[in-house]
Amino acid sequence: MKVVVAVLLVALCLLHHDFWWWGDTRPLVLGFLPIGLAWHVGISFATAIVWWLATMYCWPHGLDDEEDGPNEEGGGGQSA
Amino acid sequence: MTLAIIVGYIVLLLGVAVFSTRFLKKTAGDFFLASRGIGSFMLLMSVFGTTMTAFALVGSTGKSFAVGVGVYGLLASWSCIVHSLCIFLIGARVWALGKRHGYLTQLAFLRDRYSSDALVLILFPLVVSFVVVYVLMGVVGSGRVLQGLTGISYEAGMGGICLVVLTYVFFGGMRATAWANTFQTVVFMVMGVVAFLVIMNDLGGPVAATERLLGSPAASKAARSGHISQLEFLSFGLIPLSIGMFPHVFQHWLTAKKASTFKLTIIAHPICIAITWAPCVLIGLWAAAELPADTLQNSVLPKMVARHSGEVLSGLIGAGILAAIMSSMDSQFLCLGSLFTNDIVDRYFGKGELSDSRKVLLGRVFVILMVALAFVIGLFNTSGVFKIGVWCFTGFASLVPMVFAALYWKRSNKYGAIASVLSVAALWLYFLPQVLGSGKSFLIAGMLPVTVITAVSTVVLVVVTLVTPPPGQQTVDKFFGSRG
Repeated sequence: MKVVVAVLLVALCLLHHDFWWWGDTRPLVLGFLPIGLAWHVGISFATAIVWWLATMYCWPHGLDDEEDGPNEEGGGGQSA
Repeated sequence: MTLAIIVGYIVLLLGVAVFSTRFLKKTAGDFFLASRGIGSFMLLMSVFGTTMTAFALVGSTGKSFAVGVGVYGLLASWSCIVHSLCIFLIGARVWALGKRHGYLTQLAFLRDRYSSDALVLILFPLVVSFVVVYVLMGVVGSGRVLQGLTGISYEAGMGGICLVVLTYVFFGGMRATAWANTFQTVVFMVMGVVAFLVIMNDLGGPVAATERLLGSPAASKAARSGHISQLEFLSFGLIPLSIGMFPHVFQHWLTAKKASTFKLTIIAHPICIAITWAPCVLIGLWAAAELPADTLQNSVLPKMVARHSGEVLSGLIGAGILAAIMSSMDSQFLCLGSLFTNDIVDRYFGKGELSDSRKVLLGRVFVILMVALAFVIGLFNTSGVFKIGVWCFTGFASLVPMVFAALYWKRSNKYGAIASVLSVAALWLYFLPQVLGSGKSFLIAGMLPVTVITAVSTVVLVVVTLVTPPPGQQTVDKFFGSRG
């Protein structure tokens, strides 16, 4: 699944560079969104889905070991 | 009436900050990191609110007015991808190391990882300079917004907002900042949508507004051709890397309760960006059809709000814009004090003899001096918020390879890190006059300077690291051991 998420992220970066309608003002999505803007708003929501997949299937579980770690107060040898 | 509503909002905000201090524990960990007890929703609001500033509302609207819809792709959709990537790869891992070793600041982590005081002494003035530029963006933005909406002077607007933020940061530290951030982020997101709906309705609906633009001399701004080159568009992808080195965001990462607390931030951050940026870009675009082309970019949003809403709504929307600005400034102020107090005063001058209250006092004096510096620069500043922001983010983004190496490259050492930081400092200062003096975006071979500076800092980091001795085994075990 990590590979799938990585491929999806690379795909998002490639799709971000939408040179194919660089000079297009139309079509207007929903009647008012120029196509270039609508495409990038769509990229934003697609990104959220890919990051949801990343947190579901690629989360580094070793990090959670720290949840019961020693520095609850955050002092840890430093002071204000 | 508009001014009265904004003043009312500020009083309410101070009330929230005061309320949060009921939960304040009198420890350094609580003042700077809210005892590492911040949950998922507050972390999302804090990190998002901190990264979205005058740049996101005032800057994006003004830039969209000037160059059109491409501004969303330049920064918003790139940020959706890259911000979450940095939070995923850097934020959660830094939190784990911070929890284990008790770091209060970014510089404390880097000093320990690279076993170098010299690195911190070089980084401190550089990072503080970048943060002051970031503060400047908020100061200028708040002055312009208050001037545009209420008619009070630019100088009074800047000064008033600085005083409000200083008050609640000094009063309640990170806990008050996190609460205020959450409150303000909700306010600016809601009011941003309200502003969009009100302006859109007053323009006769979204279809009419866009058709009006397409029938105007500014019609070409509905596309990118002629306004943004493809190389410039591509190179903007490096700018959002800056979140990986923002010291104030770093400090928010350390406040998380658990590693899994980060998941909501990683997923929802792109959605929050879309909700905030898309309306602003559209307002700027529609403004191109009705405001004179020589309108000051920073004034576009307040002018559109003032034109298309009544006094009450104008006040509420103005409060929302100021909320976005203040929700970044508070973290920056706290962070400046924290860096100075913990990484400089306590370590090099305190020698265990300064009392806590003395250290905090010195930190506050330092913050006041830096804010005063930003205020004075703001008096003479004529640059747009967008340009200031991009240059500030360029500095932070170029330092990210050094942070990334600290977390993922066992071989990386202090020599490579120091050389990398020095290369960033030299190039950032070298290009500064050209960036500020340039009428349009200053580009190198069609790309933003961040491309060159980041490439140089990465090459310097790798080459110098490989030709110098590796870090000690103790450091490698500490940061890359079985739990690293």
